[in-house]
Amino acid sequence: MNLVIDAAGLGKQYGRRWALRDCSAAIPEGKVVGLVGPNGAGKTTLLHLAVGLLAPTSGSIKVLGANPGEDAAQLGRVGFVAQDTPVYPRLSVAAHLRMGAWLNPKWDTELAERRIGELGLDPHQRAGTLSGGQRAQLALALAISKRPECLILDEPVASLDPLARREFHRSLMEVVATQGISVVLSSHLIGDLERVCDYLVVLVASRVRLAGEVSDLVSSHCRLSGPRRDASSLPANQEIIEESHTDRQSTFLVRTADPIHDPAWTARPVTLDDLVIAYMSRPTAPERTGRPTLKVMS
Amino acid sequence: MIRFTWLQFRLRASAALAALAAFVVVLAVTGPHLASLYASSAIAGCHGGTCATAAYDFLSRLAITSPYPIVYELGSGLILVTPGIIGIFYGAPLIAREIESRTFALAWTQSITRARWLAVKLAMTGLAAMAVTAVLSLSYTWWADPISKAVGLGGGYNPPFTGGRLSSVIFATGGIAPLGYAAFAFALGTAAGALIRRTVPAMAVTLVIFAVAQITVPLVVRPHLIPPDHKITTIQSAALNFGNLTATVVPGQPGAWIISSAALNAAGHATSALPAACAGATGLKAQSPGPCMTSLGYKETITYQPASRYWPLQWLETAGYLALALAMAGLCFWRVGRRVS
Repeated sequence: MNLVIDAAGLGKQYGRRWALRDCSAAIPEGKVVGLVGPNGAGKTTLLHLAVGLLAPTSGSIKVLGANPGEDAAQLGRVGFVAQDTPVYPRLSVAAHLRMGAWLNPKWDTELAERRIGELGLDPHQRAGTLSGGQRAQLALALAISKRPECLILDEPVASLDPLARREFHRSLMEVVATQGISVVLSSHLIGDLERVCDYLVVLVASRVRLAGEVSDLVSSHCRLSGPRRDASSLPANQEIIEESHTDRQSTFLVRTADPIHDPAWTARPVTLDDLVIAYMSRPTAPERTGRPTLKVMS
Repeated sequence: MIRFTWLQFRLRASAALAALAAFVVVLAVTGPHLASLYASSAIAGCHGGTCATAAYDFLSRLAITSPYPIVYELGSGLILVTPGIIGIFYGAPLIAREIESRTFALAWTQSITRARWLAVKLAMTGLAAMAVTAVLSLSYTWWADPISKAVGLGGGYNPPFTGGRLSSVIFATGGIAPLGYAAFAFALGTAAGALIRRTVPAMAVTLVIFAVAQITVPLVVRPHLIPPDHKITTIQSAALNFGNLTATVVPGQPGAWIISSAALNAAGHATSALPAACAGATGLKAQSPGPCMTSLGYKETITYQPASRYWPLQWLETAGYLALALAMAGLCFWRVGRRVS
């Protein structure tokens, strides 16, 4: 499988502080990938490393198989929408499109103008007077009109109101549908992503806690509740992600490829939201040994 | 990238260019009349000793003829501050504002390498800065030509028309030196912005460093760009400042720039105090300490740059500033290449 982002032992240090440390991630091509994590997890650093705005302090990162930002051609292959979608406030919308045309050899003038037209933006309006939603749309139009092979967006909707978020996501889905490019977008809220993503990466403290197709992730996890039991009594093929206990009852969120057979349990499906929060709040790499191995007798 | 740089530059340069054009128009309108005043003055037909007097008369009259004194001072003031303004308002924000407003993430993710982005920005804005300063300094030099000729003839006693071409301010406002200042100030501002990453502090740092350079270079560096000449002369009352016994002119070297001078007593020691024996000579006969000191064996030692070194000094100073500008530009490339975000 070809990878959009292939990071190995990646780190970025500012002075003594590590913004990202020993991060390894393999994000496949041809998906709409949601990168979720709490603030400070290193999402922005990882994405800036991926577009070549930063150089790694340690480790390596390849984007579409090449070093990020190594030359003009590689810069042209990756479209980027930065956090808070910065634009030049004193330049008009039309001037931004001219900038795009001048600085990108593969620029698609027709696409850019059509998008601006569809959004109802006045080409002569200064970008500084656009609303947050319009500015985000302009930034998206600039990023896609350079005809990149993949699009990377860093919390593009974080500062937008719910309506503008939906509009932005609709635009993004149109792009994906018509151009079929790989997309990686980050957010600290899963709610921003679950409607648009088909692949999810959860990043906590520089580490990938969870990665996979959204549908697989949802189907491979379930929430078990039943009479109180100790975690060590669960079968080894059920990875415990989260557990909570009352006096009489226990609830576990488990990852398992196999069906649940124990009749004492009530198994319920999990939402993506539950799943992400469980992984985000999970202590790092729990090691449990000596748990029973159950065999299905048929 | 050239077109985009121009698009951004145009927005911020129009007001400054309009002000510059207005000043050049003032020079163009008043210049021919100044030249005709010079041509019709007594300097035209002077020879030998009468020239200094004719030049003195011409400049005395000019000093009270509006608008020449004010244009003269305004022009030199403008040429002195223009490089600083360029450094502060065009250099410092060049990179710092992109970082501050986060637009670097837009600029540096287009299909153009950052080195090329910076090269075009630096070259275009830097050349524009030098061109603007060159237009200003050349048109001013042309305008002030009659004045500098009259000063060169030894008529420069009335303010503001006093300094020769090598005096600190006149040197810095004529010839090609302002180009060097403009290139340096611009590159300094850009480098400060790249290192500090915030526009306003970068502007302040640019102002301070550029001002320090403009003050220390004429005092400390320029006198030694070419090893200065030394001369020991007899004490001449007319060429001496009696307060501290420094020389006011170098005998036989009109227009020379005096870097240091002192009286030497009979034992050869430098002194700045009038010998007691000659002190009584002041008062009624103010000119007589000269012969008195000479009779006591005093001489005057002068360290100076002759007027003929004007252009070598201009070239050396300009080259020095251009080299500093290149070093600053190198710093910008290093900083931006290290990915400042």
